Amino acid sequence: MPVIFINGEAVDTGEHGTVLQAALANGFYVPHFCWHPELSVVGNCRVCLVEQEGRGVGIACNMPVVDGMRIETDTETVRAQRKAMLQFILLNHPVDCGICDKAGECALQDYHYAYNGEPALSREPKQKGTKFYPLSSRILLDNERCILCSRCVRFTREVSKSNVLGIEYRGDSALVRPAEDRTLDDDPYSDNVIDICPVGALLSRSFLHQARVWYLEPTPSVCPRCARGCNVQLWHRKPEWRLKGLDPAQNTRILRVTPLENPRVNGPWICNRGRDLGEILERPRAQQALLKGAGVTMMEAIEATRALIAASTRKVALVSSWASNEELRAFRSALGDNFTSFVKADQLPEEGEVVEDEFLIRADKNPNTRGAQALFGSDVPEIPEDADLVLVWGEGVDFARLPRGAKIVLLGSWLLPEVGHADVFIPLSIQTERRGHYTNFEGVVSAFEPCQSRPEGVIDAETLFPLLAAPGAWGRG
Amino acid sequence: MTGRKVLMDFAVTPDSHTLAAYRARGGYEALARALKTMQPEDVTQEIVDSGIQGRGGAAFPAGRKWQGIDPHDGQPHYLIANADEGEPGTFKDRWVLEHDPHALLESMLLGSYALGVRHAFVYIRGEYDQPWRRLDAAVEEAYAEGLFGENILGSGFSCDLFVFRGAGAYVCGEASSLLGSIEGTRAWPRNRPPRMTVRGLYQAPTVVNNVETIASVAWIIRNGAQAFREIGTEKSPGTRLISISGHIRYPGVYEVELGYSWSKFLHEDCGGLLCNKALKAVIPGGISSQVMTGMDAKVLTPGEVEGMTLDHEVLRAAGSSLGSGGMIVIAEGTCMVRLLQIMLRFYRHESCGQCTPCREGTGWMHRIIDRIVAGEGRPEDIGTLYHIARFNDGTTICGLGDAAGYAAIAMLDNFRDEFDYYIEHGNSKFGGNLECR
Repeated sequence: MPVIFINGEAVDTGEHGTVLQAALANGFYVPHFCWHPELSVVGNCRVCLVEQEGRGVGIACNMPVVDGMRIETDTETVRAQRKAMLQFILLNHPVDCGICDKAGECALQDYHYAYNGEPALSREPKQKGTKFYPLSSRILLDNERCILCSRCVRFTREVSKSNVLGIEYRGDSALVRPAEDRTLDDDPYSDNVIDICPVGALLSRSFLHQARVWYLEPTPSVCPRCARGCNVQLWHRKPEWRLKGLDPAQNTRILRVTPLENPRVNGPWICNRGRDLGEILERPRAQQALLKGAGVTMMEAIEATRALIAASTRKVALVSSWASNEELRAFRSALGDNFTSFVKADQLPEEGEVVEDEFLIRADKNPNTRGAQALFGSDVPEIPEDADLVLVWGEGVDFARLPRGAKIVLLGSWLLPEVGHADVFIPLSIQTERRGHYTNFEGVVSAFEPCQSRPEGVIDAETLFPLLAAPGAWGRG
Repeated sequence: MTGRKVLMDFAVTPDSHTLAAYRARGGYEALARALKTMQPEDVTQEIVDSGIQGRGGAAFPAGRKWQGIDPHDGQPHYLIANADEGEPGTFKDRWVLEHDPHALLESMLLGSYALGVRHAFVYIRGEYDQPWRRLDAAVEEAYAEGLFGENILGSGFSCDLFVFRGAGAYVCGEASSLLGSIEGTRAWPRNRPPRMTVRGLYQAPTVVNNVETIASVAWIIRNGAQAFREIGTEKSPGTRLISISGHIRYPGVYEVELGYSWSKFLHEDCGGLLCNKALKAVIPGGISSQVMTGMDAKVLTPGEVEGMTLDHEVLRAAGSSLGSGGMIVIAEGTCMVRLLQIMLRFYRHESCGQCTPCREGTGWMHRIIDRIVAGEGRPEDIGTLYHIARFNDGTTICGLGDAAGYAAIAMLDNFRDEFDYYIEHGNSKFGGNLECR
């Protein structure tokens, strides 16, 4: 492996082909805008300058590693040139950080403080650009803030392959624009460009002016919307910044979803469906246990279920593919022997959505089918006509297709029409209220953490199943 | 006369550009001989021995560029003649394309043979209409006589030529940017490494030569490298096509033997300056080369131009270059502030917008000079212009950003008093004059 010297320290470059990669991997920070580990090298921002002994200043992102080369990342020449580059970048940048969603996590802001920190040299009026140019129903573009690093353009060419974006015109009139007659709506991964934009040029319509990022914190989670199980971060207000003046829902709401890098699952990307978790998680919740549509206490519902289990002879369970591995194990150890269990799909592809592609999106729209099938087999649900008790866990079951004589126990989280039709209904918590693990279609297990508190009246499935099996446990617990 | 000739060695007549006329001058004999008696390496060696330097601006030895390609490595190779002559003041390749297109075509064939090229390209700027017509007609003539296509002259060597018309961007004259234009992508210059002789057009090893460079190849093969070396100076062999314009009596394209006296060229061959004015400055090789001052009234000894010979070494020593051979002569009484404004407007308009310093810096400099010319200059503007020019230099992918900075620095260094005067008085020392009256 080639060894190079960065600021006098010997560094084994390993697999890294360029000086920038070797430096970043070994703890030498070199600022960069246009370079991104998943995208091709274009070398246009000219900020990742380093000095090579005997060769002068060059850009680290396109400097191949040569054994024994000596690199300095912080000489006077490098500092002066970096400063000049930042002056150039800020020349026509509006510096409207006060109203910019990116403020607080903006590379330009950080670098300005770290490497420039001086007032503008220019006294010329700034070039005007388009504000709020609609790239799609999800994304707005602010051309004044854009620094033309071309990350978004390369993303649509190299990663999502939709080829929607390009650069028009030349020089300081150059603009990022969609190709003729196209919008980013054609690209199911378009929102990633918002994350990779080093400045606040690409804006999410759903997050626009919703919150300052320094009031937010991310909770690691897993996207439940397909079998890929992309690792995500759910952004919500920090507990210390929950404000009494705000609507309580605002204080705990998930304000945005971003990818959590995991090379074994999703890399640094997720699809747009994953960003719209609110669509599915913010549906009206069921918070009341029911007996044939009539409200009862949780204890009464559990007693009733226990009685049904004891009284019936042919018991079938339809297990949720949205349940965590922990919940599935709890069900098997508590009730597995009593039931003939099948894994069912809770969600099916919706009309108009990309069903499956060659990148991330999978046709199975449930997060833990593989984990559930490992415990309960992969047979297609077939409910015998003589079944007298059906336990339905989760959504996606048409009650009209269940045997007429069977009693139905429904465990679910949402206020759907079925809850009133079941003989017993018990409300469960949702993914953002508990921790657990999902196994994706390739067998990779990812963990999710809670970021919201359980609403009153619901119970974790993991707690529920032992109670259904062991008489008396409820009273003691 | 301006010395011995390599390209302009015949009388231009209404049909001197045709294949018949070219054959009558001994055309395509070198090709026939090379295909029969020479190996590809021999052709390359001949070019290396001739010592010919690139005529597009950088004056890189053409033979060394060709040696970067192994004709037998099994990969496809490409040879491209760069006829995107966009440098302001430069129109020398136009002469070759209009009057001697077959010299270019024969040379392209020799080059293709030497480099193992199956498909060669001529990238011609879109604004060149007549040159394109002449070139296109010449290609058709050559195809009709079996000089292109399969099995040329029975040698087993095959080569096809494509003439590609550009769409008018200056930056496409930059070799790697030109590749993007041919490939159909945005014409942005590419980072080196890799060099184009390693990965160029369609990711294959590629040589891009200026039209004048490559058009000299046929002459070199026909007459031998030694004959070429005897022309010009020891370090700068051969001739240069110089397109001279500006305040000069007989503007046009001249072939000048390298090492020829500059003063003689200006005052005798080109008839001296218009209106018998004194020489103020010369831009020797397109506006991207540095300005040289002429007889300066305050200096009693003859200025830089007088007494200097025209060759690459002498100009390089003087901090400028013969560049693309586009010589612009500026007479006394011209407003250099307004001249710089025009130059900077050009660079701003033509900056491709890829690298930060050039994209922002050329616009910034243009806005400052516009303000100075409008009479609203500030004393600190000079310092800012120097700052921008300094940090444009060497920080961009291609040379366009550097060149814009050079233009500003050369003008400011040499004519600082005019800029100070303009800023102080709000108007030009020379009435904003750009013409010779």
